Amino acid sequence: MNTTLLAISLAIVAAAGILALLRLFQPHAAWRRLSLLLLLAGLLAVIAAVIPVLSQDLHQHIPLYRISGPLVIDFYLDRLAAFFILIISVVSICVALYSLGYIEHHIEPKRRQWLLALMAFFILAMIAVVASGNYFTLIISWEIMSLSSFFLVILEREQAENRKAGIYYLVMTQFSTLFLLFSCLTVYHSTGTMDITTSLPANALSVTLLGFLVGFGTKAGLMPLHKWLPYAHSAAPSNVSALMSGVMLKTAIYGITRIMLNLAVIPLWWGIVLLALGTASAVLGVIYALKEHDLKKLLAYHSIENIGIIVIGLGLYTIFNRYGFEVLAVMSLAGALFHSLNHALFKSLLFMSAGNVINATRSRNIEHMGGLVKRMPVTAVTFLIGAAAISALPPLNGFASEILLFQSYLGAFQIPSLFVAVGVFASLAAFALMSALAAACFVKAFGITFLAMPRSAEAALAQEAGWSMTTAPAILAVLCIAAGTGSAWFFKWMGMELPVPDMLPVSFMILTVISILAVFMRLLKAPVRKSETWNCGFTTITSRTEYTASGFSEPIITIFSPIFRTQKMLWRNFADVTGAIIRGGRAEIKTLQFFEERIYLPLARLALNIGRRISAWQNGDLDNFVMYAFIAIAASILLAGWWL
Amino acid sequence: MVSMLVYYVLNPLFILAVSPLFIGIIKKGKAMAQGRTGAPVWQPYLHLRKLFRKEIIYSNNASFIMRLSPYLNMAFMIAAATLVPVIFLPPEGSVATNIILFVYLMVSARFFMALAGLDAGSSFGGMGSSREMSLSAIAEPVTIITCAAVAFALDTTGIAQMFARTLAGSLLDFPTLLLAGVSLFIILIIETSRMPVDNPETHLELTMVHEAMVLEQSGPNLALMEISHGVKQTLLMALLINLLFPLGIAGDFDAAGIALGAISFIIKGSILSVAIAIFESSLAKIRFFRLPSFFMVALFFSFITIVFELLF
Repeated sequence: MNTTLLAISLAIVAAAGILALLRLFQPHAAWRRLSLLLLLAGLLAVIAAVIPVLSQDLHQHIPLYRISGPLVIDFYLDRLAAFFILIISVVSICVALYSLGYIEHHIEPKRRQWLLALMAFFILAMIAVVASGNYFTLIISWEIMSLSSFFLVILEREQAENRKAGIYYLVMTQFSTLFLLFSCLTVYHSTGTMDITTSLPANALSVTLLGFLVGFGTKAGLMPLHKWLPYAHSAAPSNVSALMSGVMLKTAIYGITRIMLNLAVIPLWWGIVLLALGTASAVLGVIYALKEHDLKKLLAYHSIENIGIIVIGLGLYTIFNRYGFEVLAVMSLAGALFHSLNHALFKSLLFMSAGNVINATRSRNIEHMGGLVKRMPVTAVTFLIGAAAISALPPLNGFASEILLFQSYLGAFQIPSLFVAVGVFASLAAFALMSALAAACFVKAFGITFLAMPRSAEAALAQEAGWSMTTAPAILAVLCIAAGTGSAWFFKWMGMELPVPDMLPVSFMILTVISILAVFMRLLKAPVRKSETWNCGFTTITSRTEYTASGFSEPIITIFSPIFRTQKMLWRNFADVTGAIIRGGRAEIKTLQFFEERIYLPLARLALNIGRRISAWQNGDLDNFVMYAFIAIAASILLAGWWL
Repeated sequence: MVSMLVYYVLNPLFILAVSPLFIGIIKKGKAMAQGRTGAPVWQPYLHLRKLFRKEIIYSNNASFIMRLSPYLNMAFMIAAATLVPVIFLPPEGSVATNIILFVYLMVSARFFMALAGLDAGSSFGGMGSSREMSLSAIAEPVTIITCAAVAFALDTTGIAQMFARTLAGSLLDFPTLLLAGVSLFIILIIETSRMPVDNPETHLELTMVHEAMVLEQSGPNLALMEISHGVKQTLLMALLINLLFPLGIAGDFDAAGIALGAISFIIKGSILSVAIAIFESSLAKIRFFRLPSFFMVALFFSFITIVFELLF
């Protein structure tokens, strides 16, 4: 029953994409709207189909088409897959709604059709990834997902920056596929089956697991494989960024979780590696975000941070599971999965609101914004709710999932190994730091973007976005609040009894106090006056005297300057005896792009050098080529004879 | 059920009522340490009454954030006040008093206060917000690790259950609490913007952190901001007091016990306020970028506590 509904609804989603492609040469707004509505309807049906699965103990394979032998297009549905399908569909619905307005904004009509078609296939591929029943289907859908998102990233290919981002992304995503392919093949080699739920054997496991970690970790944006993420997210159109950051990263999380759950015995080192990588991503992600003034890059770095949080949860799950603490393990896993949902909700909300702001001000630099709260009130409120949620403020959803992780962390005292226990507590300190820095970063992001006075002429003339572009984030904002306040109820419905505080009484208390105060202040009848901001006796203040984003994050950047590798360089002027300058000087402050300059580029150079050596052999001389062919054939005959 | 409702009403109200008193005592103590007579200890009440009678002035640039932030601040602090029992302990299991939730309610209040600091467009407010968020960020690991140490020593994350255990046992049963107490005291100093982290007396842009953020608030709104700041101080004091010297807090729900609990808390709180005054008077303000090392000392203490607990 469910599977029929699911199949029909996915067919509708596919139809939406095909419709957009069909009208490629006769683009028309009405057809685009129809196509988006189809997308909406299809995804709604997907949700209706998967929600019952969430509370059931279902394990169902849905084989679709056998190509040959073990190569079967096969889908699989259980609670984990259903949960991730739910995440993808909820966010995609809001993105589809948002796109109704957004898609008409920018780009030339033909590209709108492309955007639409690619988006539909992208969503479909993501659902296929998390619903894959075997590794073959997984790799196929993974590639479709990667390629469709690559074309979405380079949609606005006129700008050199976007092309660079696209190539960067393509290389990284193929790098990821390479490792996944390797691991899938080793699994097939050792178990003889492609089934995604096969429990993995213990022998030769480490290499397989590392392959999966690198493959999925690259896609998830785990440090140090994260560098594509800020580039790609800022190059893509905002609705696509919302999809990529909100849900595409989660498919990688799904992959890691699925592999872990397949292991009969999860090795301890896996947990420690996940915890270490997660902590590094979480802390460095937010520290880099603080420095960023490009609104979309800032959000992209926060995605790295939040993926870090999720991976920390998975790492804690492994560690607790290894030592046999059932409740703590379940709590960490629930925290990781719940945070995946929550991050999808608030991050796509933030990207869509940011898209509205960027459309209105024609800039991505927050130093050119300001004062938008008066001109774009709805966008401001939704962005604020998203910012509060991502900063883990109770009673919103970000806190509801982070407290699960906090509670698991506090259970680490029971770990018998002192080494591991101290490591977990060091990670807890970093986690606390990260969460406070995130709050600081979003005070900056919201405060500089929306509050005070406009810092540019565009910001002063900004206008609120259309209805669809404000409704979609608003729906997500409501979901953020609901997922936070109703978290205890949600866990109960999922059949989990977790020792975390219920957010409902707190929310009730906050609302009560606010209403009592409102009544009290009304009764007080204090006179209200509007006036100039005090400015030390000068007449008026202008936007030039406002606090800037760079100023705001300066203290933190100074405190963490060893991490930023800030280099301050100063060249003096040299003057001769008469005071005439004979050599000019300059001062420069720059931050080292550590990962790029110290890891990525040396590797790329190494690859290029090797390539150059090899290409020396390819000298266009026919005699040589014949010789190569001869050697190759001789070698294969020898090898075959030796082996068979 | 009745005791739970009474707890939800009485506990915040009592904290609201005594908060200005402790501020007054600290001010008086500092004045005496500086050789001044100082204002009477009930001066903060008069100050609040004065503020409630004044008009509210909003900047032309200010948005709903400025108007909403005093309410939100109060709401978050009152919600936090329901998590820290000061005069009597609610019956076991009736009230969820998670310590992490408590910490994050304080973070929420600070988040909106910092936004309000940016709202008017004055560079003072921005400066204050930026400094406050930076300091709180590097102080957060100390807070959480200390919470973890306390939670381990008492084997619970509920604040009410913690107090119940310290009340039932004695400090000798939980020796590591003394170490955690040092960190808690430093957290109290940091969170309430006191010397040597911030100077609460000054309005000089070079030195101030917290005061700069609320510079644009006026009249009743400023009063709400100041009350919530006072409530925060009382809550952190209550945490320290009831973990180390829980004597007097009523374990059961009866009128005599509650009265005794109230009186004993006021006495213990006054003593702690005097200690804070002496501590503040004996220190000079630390240069802003030296503060991380001060926080590192606190983090060191809390980590030592954890390591001790793990070893023994």
